[in-house]
Amino acid sequence: MRPIITFARWGNYTIVFKTLFEQLGLKVVSPEKTNQETIAQGVKIAPEMYCFPLKVNLGNYLSAIRRGANTVFMATSLSGSCRLRYYGVVQDKSLSEAGYKVNFITFDQSPRALYLKIKEVSGASFWQILKAVYFAFKELRFIEKLEKKGQYFRPREKKRGETDTILRETFFDLENIKNFKKFSELKKRTFEKISEIEIDKKKDIPKVALIGEIYTVSDSAINFEVEEKLGREGIEVHREMDLTYHLKKAIFPWKDWTIQNKINPYLKSTVGGHGRDAIYEMLNYVKKDFDGIIHLLPMSCMPESTIRPILEKIHLQSGIPFLSLSLDEQVGEAGVDTRFEAFVDVVKNHHNKK
Amino acid sequence: MIIGIPRALIYWKRPCFWEIFFENLGFKVLLSPLTNKEIIQKGTMVSDPETCFSNKVYWGHLLSLEGKCNFIFVPRLKTNKEKLEYCPKFFALPDLAKILVKTPILTETFDERREKFEKTLLKLGKKLRKNKKEVERAKKIAFLKEKELEKKKQKEFFEKIESKKPKIVLVSHPYNLYDDYINLRIKDKLGELGAEAIFIDEVPNPKTQHPIKSQVPSPDIQFHWEFGKEIMERISMILDYEITGVIELSSFQCGCDAVLKEFVERKFKKNKIPFLYLIIDEHTGEAGIQTRLEAFIDTLGL
Repeated sequence: MRPIITFARWGNYTIVFKTLFEQLGLKVVSPEKTNQETIAQGVKIAPEMYCFPLKVNLGNYLSAIRRGANTVFMATSLSGSCRLRYYGVVQDKSLSEAGYKVNFITFDQSPRALYLKIKEVSGASFWQILKAVYFAFKELRFIEKLEKKGQYFRPREKKRGETDTILRETFFDLENIKNFKKFSELKKRTFEKISEIEIDKKKDIPKVALIGEIYTVSDSAINFEVEEKLGREGIEVHREMDLTYHLKKAIFPWKDWTIQNKINPYLKSTVGGHGRDAIYEMLNYVKKDFDGIIHLLPMSCMPESTIRPILEKIHLQSGIPFLSLSLDEQVGEAGVDTRFEAFVDVVKNHHNKK
Repeated sequence: MIIGIPRALIYWKRPCFWEIFFENLGFKVLLSPLTNKEIIQKGTMVSDPETCFSNKVYWGHLLSLEGKCNFIFVPRLKTNKEKLEYCPKFFALPDLAKILVKTPILTETFDERREKFEKTLLKLGKKLRKNKKEVERAKKIAFLKEKELEKKKQKEFFEKIESKKPKIVLVSHPYNLYDDYINLRIKDKLGELGAEAIFIDEVPNPKTQHPIKSQVPSPDIQFHWEFGKEIMERISMILDYEITGVIELSSFQCGCDAVLKEFVERKFKKNKIPFLYLIIDEHTGEAGIQTRLEAFIDTLGL
């Protein structure tokens, strides 16, 4: 049986995973964009009490399996203390109990384990794997750069919606790119286009930071496009959490030590996941004089809900506007929008009073 | 000097140990009262709405101790003897406790990946200005008492196993099993319905006890949580005996149980043993539990 690979969807990074497998010569069915329907299907077969991202992932697999995928690729035993460790096992179990016969491939997060697994599945040579990983990494950097550009340009643009149009077109083109040369061309073209956007440089713009769980923060389909929405309201959004940040931390552990040093007065231990990072980032943003913090987490996420009282304490001490939103399958877009709108008013007031 | 210990959550991981240890060091120990309605209400009010029910109860106990003692003892349990982790929510308990109460918190990190339990106890003694000899003595007495309790538990278990009544195993964490207000006296209720309740805690661990009928099979999942591994091991042990049914108790929003339940349920279903999953929270009423237990006992067809 020739493996047709699918994987969990994760915002714009999905393109990177797709490229990685395609460059290895594997057939890929990339999951559809997450919507209410996918989530509902995932919820149906997932354990009831499990956290939200697992349910979304299952929905993503189902949409891909329906289009012919027969192999699921998922990281497991991620070093950490939270439930993410058991994602692979539990997803495998849920799929097989619901009657889907798929080959579920799990791998450890260490580079070595990942390499061995890829080699086993694809049969590619070392050189080919290295090339594919390099290409994927370049794409990842490009995507993250675009996201950062978007955060900067959206509140400043003179013609509304220009930035979003360019980004959307670029991401669409990027998905269909097969070789490195075309990728470089696209990169150049996009940066040219972005530099032509007319912006108001002198505009006084309030800044808001997004902190919290990495998946909810960086997947715009899960967090109801919070970055775009705030940008359109004239607010610059900052976000440190992205895939590179996570990978960097997995390879270089000393980042964790600095974080622990900085947050010692508040929390003296890890709580699993990115619990410590959220506190560190919030302290950092308070120091940089931001106008608001939005904390996003999946409903009942163990690390994030544990540290929320600490974030609230920092909020009370510093007076920075703070909004904590738990997302799950029952949260509706209209409800979230109302809360964002109210928060925008608070942020603008805070900014004007300064 | 009085040291207060909240009688919830991590207390039940080592019942008696801490009070005897501190008493033998020459301190007065004040345990928080048994869980009651007021404590739960207090705890629910101050805690994060999405944290688990057991944690909320703990905050209630902590608040009930405020102002009544010089220190409140909140240890940070990270890993146990087998180098397996505790629930990640335990890691942040002392820090969160400091936000809630003004009474100073006495704490020490118990991480056996880094240092032995005994050594951490010495450090704790040093914080209380006690020398090595005194700590060693107190530790010895506390360990002896703990062993005694363990023996008593096992004796009770074998008595229960011999009895003629239908045996029902209760799978849960110790803080749900031994707190009668939280589990709504489920043990007594099962007794009234004519069944014998066996706590999963009482089952001898195959590691310390020689397995009677069969060798311990290798588990189908490797947990990095201490309770996960222990419960799975004990379940494979209890399957050697004749049991009629299983009830798993879980506190609402417990993240670890969401994982655990999947595998516990699978294990019992494979062996064709009826399984009931009950979730408890601050709104659970006695009548509701009673109905479900009666229905469950009826389905067993005794």
